[in-house]
Amino acid sequence: MPGPLLRGKAAMAVVFAVVLLLPHILRFMPQSDYLMDVAITTAIYVTLAIGLNVTVGLAGLLDLGYIAFYGLGAYAAAIVIHGGAAQAAVSGGPGFWVALPVALAVAAIAGLAIGLPTLRLRGDYLAIVTLAFGQIAKLSENNWDWLTNGPQGMEVAKPLLFGAELRSPYVLYYIIAVIGIVTWACVRNLNNSAVGRAWVAIREDEIAAGAMGINVPKMKLLAFMTGAAFAGLAGAFFASKSGFISPPSFDFIETIIILAMVVLGGMGSLPGVILGGIILAILPEFLRSLPSILQMEGSFDITPYRMLIYGGAMVLIMFWRPEGLLPEAHRRRELHPNLAEGERKPVGHT
Amino acid sequence: MRRFVTALIATAALTSLGMPASAADGVKIGVAAPLTGALAKMGADIRNGADLAVQEINARGGIKGQKVSLIIGDDKGDPREGITVANKLVQTGVLGVVGHLNSGISIPASKEVYSPAKVTMITPASTNPELTERGLKNVFRTIGRDDQQGKDAADYALKAGYKIAVVLHNKNAYGQGLADVFKKNYENGGGKVLMFDGIQTGDKDFTPVLTRVKAQKPDLVFFGGEYQDGGLLVAQARKIGLKAPLMGGDGLFDSLFIKLAGKKAAEGSIVTFPPFDKAGAFAKTYKGKYGAEPGAYSGYSYDAAKVLLDAIAKAPKADRVSVMAQVGKTRSFKGVTGTITFNGKGDQPGFKFGVWRVQGGDFQLVTK
Amino acid sequence: MDLDLGILGQQILNGLTIGSMYALIALGYTMVYGILQLINFAHGEVFMIGSFLGLGTLLGLEALHISLPIPLALLVAFVVAMAGAALLGMGIERIAYRPLRSSPRLALLITALGLSIVLQNAVMLLVGTEDRTYPEAFTEALIDGFDLGPIHISYQQLFTLGLALVLMVGLTVLVQRTRLGKAMRATAQDPVTAGLMGIESNRVIAYTFAIGSALAAAGGILFGLTYSINFFIGYQAGLKAFIAAVLGGIGNIPGAMLGGLLLGVVEALGAGYVSGTWKDVIAFGILVLVLIFRPSGLLGERVAEKV
Repeated sequence: MPGPLLRGKAAMAVVFAVVLLLPHILRFMPQSDYLMDVAITTAIYVTLAIGLNVTVGLAGLLDLGYIAFYGLGAYAAAIVIHGGAAQAAVSGGPGFWVALPVALAVAAIAGLAIGLPTLRLRGDYLAIVTLAFGQIAKLSENNWDWLTNGPQGMEVAKPLLFGAELRSPYVLYYIIAVIGIVTWACVRNLNNSAVGRAWVAIREDEIAAGAMGINVPKMKLLAFMTGAAFAGLAGAFFASKSGFISPPSFDFIETIIILAMVVLGGMGSLPGVILGGIILAILPEFLRSLPSILQMEGSFDITPYRMLIYGGAMVLIMFWRPEGLLPEAHRRRELHPNLAEGERKPVGHT
Repeated sequence: MRRFVTALIATAALTSLGMPASAADGVKIGVAAPLTGALAKMGADIRNGADLAVQEINARGGIKGQKVSLIIGDDKGDPREGITVANKLVQTGVLGVVGHLNSGISIPASKEVYSPAKVTMITPASTNPELTERGLKNVFRTIGRDDQQGKDAADYALKAGYKIAVVLHNKNAYGQGLADVFKKNYENGGGKVLMFDGIQTGDKDFTPVLTRVKAQKPDLVFFGGEYQDGGLLVAQARKIGLKAPLMGGDGLFDSLFIKLAGKKAAEGSIVTFPPFDKAGAFAKTYKGKYGAEPGAYSGYSYDAAKVLLDAIAKAPKADRVSVMAQVGKTRSFKGVTGTITFNGKGDQPGFKFGVWRVQGGDFQLVTK
Repeated sequence: MDLDLGILGQQILNGLTIGSMYALIALGYTMVYGILQLINFAHGEVFMIGSFLGLGTLLGLEALHISLPIPLALLVAFVVAMAGAALLGMGIERIAYRPLRSSPRLALLITALGLSIVLQNAVMLLVGTEDRTYPEAFTEALIDGFDLGPIHISYQQLFTLGLALVLMVGLTVLVQRTRLGKAMRATAQDPVTAGLMGIESNRVIAYTFAIGSALAAAGGILFGLTYSINFFIGYQAGLKAFIAAVLGGIGNIPGAMLGGLLLGVVEALGAGYVSGTWKDVIAFGILVLVLIFRPSGLLGERVAEKV
């Protein structure tokens, strides 16, 4: 029987294979374009979930304005690709590949800007202030017509590779897959390093962490900026792939969705949030297709129930499995002390 | 092990999405509109209009013996949801789509989704001029454009003797666009715009902005926006003693505007909308089937669906490209909203907006 | 710019009107925070549900052909909505928050957030997504007004301000002069010692939720009479009310009242003198500034960081 290390590596290899070969698998399915689109959306959400996991799951900072980084990255990319403010020609600028690092930088700076004033704030206050920042970002995007074209939105050119426009979802998928993998790898490395341990220490007990010599402000800022940077990358990809962005896409409700993914998967757990992201990204599409899968007549649309399900899932998880679906071992021990490995008792009934 | 299972589940779930849709053969067209959200009523109007056209044609035996299916998509008034719905409709195999309502959705959806897939999109309600200015061959509209609407509105306002106005909008793609056009035409015609500002759509308290408006003492307040904001706006205007009439565009043309404002406050409001016969045969049939008066866009949606179905019937082949070309050839098609001819851009040349006034709790046509 | 005092006065009145609604909601936030150190995210939805309960009551009376004079019908609506909201608030506390009291803070916050989403969407599925107004008889009843110099005051505004004032005074009396109020203050200040003194903290907490919810519902009816309502107003108004509570000093009851009124006025002045499209940004900006420079708020105690 192969040891756990080898099993883990084999599992990872399979996951990688699936991720990289997905377009080729899906190509042969009916409605393959639509499936590919769902896969891309899922990959975006997973990237965002990994990023939010850094801020909320690892460092314990409830950033309810997270989607703003996504939006800022998208608009930064749009402006770069335009080569200027909204009224300039659709692709007069340096293009997508330059836009990517710019979006990352803009988002990271925004993370710094939001992190700095909130360093002293405790959990609840932090949540509300970040929510406010998120709304300020969205409203500014809507109001600064000269820069963002306001509510009319901005058209964004597709990425160019050696002069060829990348339109096909099968090709675009690879861009986001790479972004996702890079995000995952970075976070994994940080997680396993002193930085990751510092974050967890801050999450558990900020004062004790400080007393032990951790530079709490610096680590908090790093958490904000890291989470923000990856959201910015995802946003840049979203802008170019969609071809069009407008402020309503970057609203508070999106942060809730991503938060639900993180909570469902397991705060602080990298494989967990990936799973959470996949499940909750596919779920609405699955539900939308349910009538036809079940050969039901009529167009019964379950999407009005979507947010209800997300909210309910968040509450239920907190009640019965607050550590999430695939928690870090540390987390499960923390929430259910004095239990043997694998045993569980619902929280609150101690 | 866990991650392996994860990957398996994900792939299985993903692939199950692509299970073949119900084996209903036949001709498929789609209708996309906000069936939920603040504009749900207008969305339902659009769905019903298309539905009526499809039912009628099926009652007559369908197209070349095949039944027509109407696939319904709810874009929730959200651009991202709209793109997803558009994608789904395209993947389900529709030959054309009636929709959307919001210009902010029609514009991206037409270019990013429908155009590459060569799916015809005929909108009954998107009035932003930008929609048909991009050289897309698959985009048409049975409604007019805001550059026409704003001009017709400004012309009427000046003719009716309103010399000084305040222009407001609700800061969305439609409202701001219409307000801009109105302002330009109004000022060109000699009118004076004392103030130009926006409110936040979905907000409820407009008294601060309205107080500022009142201080300007305008003859007229023009508002670019939809009825859920417009209704509140005029109600609050009356409450603070601002007596100038409110004027707006097609976004206000719904009984809900009057209901939200209250009959007293809405009285005298002026709304541009193409003239139509409220007591005609279409209205009777519609009322019989859906239990309500046709809404602003019901007729336009009905006509859009009919144009589409007609083109499908006449096209040499029942594929998307042929249908698209056939729709482009539409000339003097008799619809309930008028005679429909598409020009090269997909607009109807010579489309005119009439002017209506709210009198006694209902809209009355004032001029053609 | 020529500062017209008449307009300024009108704008301040506008601000006080919406501000008093903010204040009524803010009180619920602040009381719960004072006792549990928890931001009750679901509180905004209680406001929204209270508003719909009021609407439902009035529509119900109509449907049952019970014709009451307007003030009486309103009274019934207020009673029903406030009682219903109180029960809802207590239910939320009992079912969602109490079991998790020993959990990490983040878990409680997320539960509150999830609950807020659930309530919002449950109502949406029940009543639909469209805007609704209170029956015309009630909204029209108070439209007229009178002029006080250059300022026009509608009877509706007068009613709103008056009722809010009455409720706030009532709350103050309750908190300062009654035994329950004393128990509430004691539990907020030091729950352990209060328990030692024989105060049953669970009951006090339940009452706190009940009272805060009832006030929010009253605000909801006032809101519904003045504007239109939909399932989303809880999020919008709730956020503003929370900002108001923080502005005044969270945990501080007079602070919530002051914060609500002040926020309303600042919003009105911002929309009236700067631009209508930046109204929310101004409100959010205030929140950020207050929390950065004076986290304890205007009337709160100076606390650098609550341990």
